[in-house]
Amino acid sequence: MLYIHKSACFSAQQTYSETDLSVITESKDNRLKVKEPVYTDIPPGTLRRMGKAVRMSVGSALPLLKEFPQPDGIIIGTANGGMEDCIKFLNQIIEYREGLLTPGNFVQSTSNAPAAQIAMITKNKKYNNTHTHRGLAFENALLDAFMLLKENPDRTYLLGSVDEISDYNFNIDRLDGCFRDEIVSNKQLFDHPAAGTIAGEGSLMMIVSGQPSGAFAAVDALQTIHTTDERLVLKTLFEFLHKNGFPAVAPDLLITGENGDARLEKYYRNAESLVPRGTAIARFKHLSGEYSTASSFGFWLATEILRTGKIPEIVLKKSGKTDIRKILIYNNYRGLQHAFVLLSAR
Amino acid sequence: METVQLKQQVKEQIVKFLNLTTVQPHDIKDEEPLFGEGLGLDSIDSIELIVMLSREYGIEIQDPKEGRKILVNVNTMVDYIEKNRTK
Amino acid sequence: MSRIMITGMGVISAIGTTLKENRDSLINERGGITQLEFYPTAYAGRLPCGEIKISSAALHKSLFTYPDPTITRSGLLVLHAAEEAIKDSGLTQEQLASTDTALVGATTVGGMCLTDELFSDAHEKISGSPYTSSYDCASITLVAQKRFGILGEINTINTACSSSANAILYGARLIRQGFARRAIVGGADSLAKFTINGFNALNILSYGLCAPFDRDRRGLNLGEGAAFLVLEKEEDVNGKKIYAELSGYGNSNDAFHPSSISLEGEGPYLSMKEALERAKLNAGDIGYINAHGTGTENNDETESVSMQRLFGTPPPFASTKSFTGHTLGASGAIEAVYSVMGLAHQELYPSLQFREPIPATGFIPVKHYRKQAFQHIMSNSFGFGGNCSTLIFSKP
Repeated sequence: MLYIHKSACFSAQQTYSETDLSVITESKDNRLKVKEPVYTDIPPGTLRRMGKAVRMSVGSALPLLKEFPQPDGIIIGTANGGMEDCIKFLNQIIEYREGLLTPGNFVQSTSNAPAAQIAMITKNKKYNNTHTHRGLAFENALLDAFMLLKENPDRTYLLGSVDEISDYNFNIDRLDGCFRDEIVSNKQLFDHPAAGTIAGEGSLMMIVSGQPSGAFAAVDALQTIHTTDERLVLKTLFEFLHKNGFPAVAPDLLITGENGDARLEKYYRNAESLVPRGTAIARFKHLSGEYSTASSFGFWLATEILRTGKIPEIVLKKSGKTDIRKILIYNNYRGLQHAFVLLSAR
Repeated sequence: METVQLKQQVKEQIVKFLNLTTVQPHDIKDEEPLFGEGLGLDSIDSIELIVMLSREYGIEIQDPKEGRKILVNVNTMVDYIEKNRTK
Repeated sequence: MSRIMITGMGVISAIGTTLKENRDSLINERGGITQLEFYPTAYAGRLPCGEIKISSAALHKSLFTYPDPTITRSGLLVLHAAEEAIKDSGLTQEQLASTDTALVGATTVGGMCLTDELFSDAHEKISGSPYTSSYDCASITLVAQKRFGILGEINTINTACSSSANAILYGARLIRQGFARRAIVGGADSLAKFTINGFNALNILSYGLCAPFDRDRRGLNLGEGAAFLVLEKEEDVNGKKIYAELSGYGNSNDAFHPSSISLEGEGPYLSMKEALERAKLNAGDIGYINAHGTGTENNDETESVSMQRLFGTPPPFASTKSFTGHTLGASGAIEAVYSVMGLAHQELYPSLQFREPIPATGFIPVKHYRKQAFQHIMSNSFGFGGNCSTLIFSKP
């Protein structure tokens, strides 16, 4: 079992320090960008070189590490790491025709820069890993920590995810058909499903351990699958639930990664049809936007609901049970990468 | 260009090139060490400054060890630029 | 706890397109670092690289009946090496398509070998290239997922130059913790303007042939390649050929500098030490070390210091990067394959271009191929960001 003791979430919404989802920030040009706090914990000499993804991950991790200074490892999921720095270096290559170039962007652009920078700043010489499996980068990081804690429940890890929107990866993903052609507000994201969604970014950092004492939520199980066959997804989810005590044990709340993309509706409808009638249903991508590790926002939301016992009105798609003890998250990234995570209250 | 002006220009370029967000050009003293103590720059910064000398003043430094002798402080940089600039 | 066995391997690098070709080159001390013939960069003719002398078009043709326009060179290298490994271990179609087969890939560049296409797609406003979903790290693993129809846990790791060593140990852990019964693990990277210019900007590329552990080493040569291994539980092997056991692994961070290792080699020391503890071995049990040995001033000195700390006088060691160049995200897996091959055949592969030892330690690597009896082999991979990993393979 993986227990969550503390978390910090940077998103486009008010999710850091004091959570408030009663007023939501509106998207601009189909993007939901993180409003970064003033980073008082990051040494200025290090901060000046950081791109947004590295800044967000280090900035959300360091406050947690004040309370838990030396976890037994740092595990981060990020599909792209420092994409902005990566293309800045590419711009240099083209502009100076492979001449004399400055290496700063290159060093910062590697996907492992967030985990490496956190290790460097906090002198953490223990386990360190970066999972970059696109829409399952966060889930693989979660599975990594889950396995380490199964092996040794006395350990504690810093577990998290980060991804940034830069103009560059927004362009690439837009050309790949991920985003709506017309401008749509996140407030109307679910009103008229069409091909594509809106972009987002964010960072989630958590202190996790194998010990329940002091924790506010736990991960019971997780599974992922790659397929575009919606029947196979449904079958896998069905078997996953049964492996975990269904129907005697059923989720009180289902959180889905629904994102207004009409092409993915069928998968989410299937999942909704599988849970018992009384199960409440929630969604979150109108708050976070879509990105490779957006499911971590859904994960954070689940832990917040388990911590506070309240479901924010803005995420509720269908009301049902109000005493939430068990949550199922189903996320789908671009129709191919599917993840199921079961959480429970402490 | 007068040495005084060149010093000012180099300080501005250091701040801009290295993205020194908490340092103003006039904070950098002429004789303050750039590396270690003082500004606290590191090996990656030294490469960035060598690239800066090339792009801004047309100075080619092949050996990074040579670079370390030039990049001691603003005075040594300006001295080298005055003697070796090609633009 | 189940023992994890290696039942299949596949590799493609500058010194060969199959296991057999790679071994022949290692035995005959035939390095593969030459001037570039295929990859278009301003450094062609100046910076020697471990380039695979097969065009992407030819690789594509050898793998696909119907062309797939979205696939990059890195993806092609993955398919080539993974196919050899799968065939070598005799995995069936049913096993591949079952939910208990895992696939763990690793890369640093991913599809960014197409530097110019990426540049254009990142700035383009109207229509993109066929590669818009092929640049990220995951893309190289997803091509193999699609081709082999793998339905189990799938992951892609990027910890810079130690990426595929971490893919191997992650696959072993998936099996041990019951998330898979077997795992196909490895990594790939192809040459890219991105890395050629990045490493060059850091002044760590050698304009001559790299000389790992030599006093006068001038830096590394980049290379390209891919390697995959099939891991299975001992009880599932059922009389199949077993190359070796993955008996230990370690992962630690040097926590010192974004692009260099601390002078006392703390990260390397800790990962080697952890691997030994996990394998329940003493330093003296290791018969050969396939060193990280990039040929840079910083790596070879700090790696030597860390070996001195752990072993006193180290066992025979060498860097096969002197044959292949530094293949970045692929290097951990390629060198794991070489390590397992050396162990299975009881032979030591040398370091090329070595002349004089580093004064601080005086360590001399294996200079020529030789047969030798030994039980355990260690393979090191250290990366930017301080990511250090060590694998130990043992005779089954």
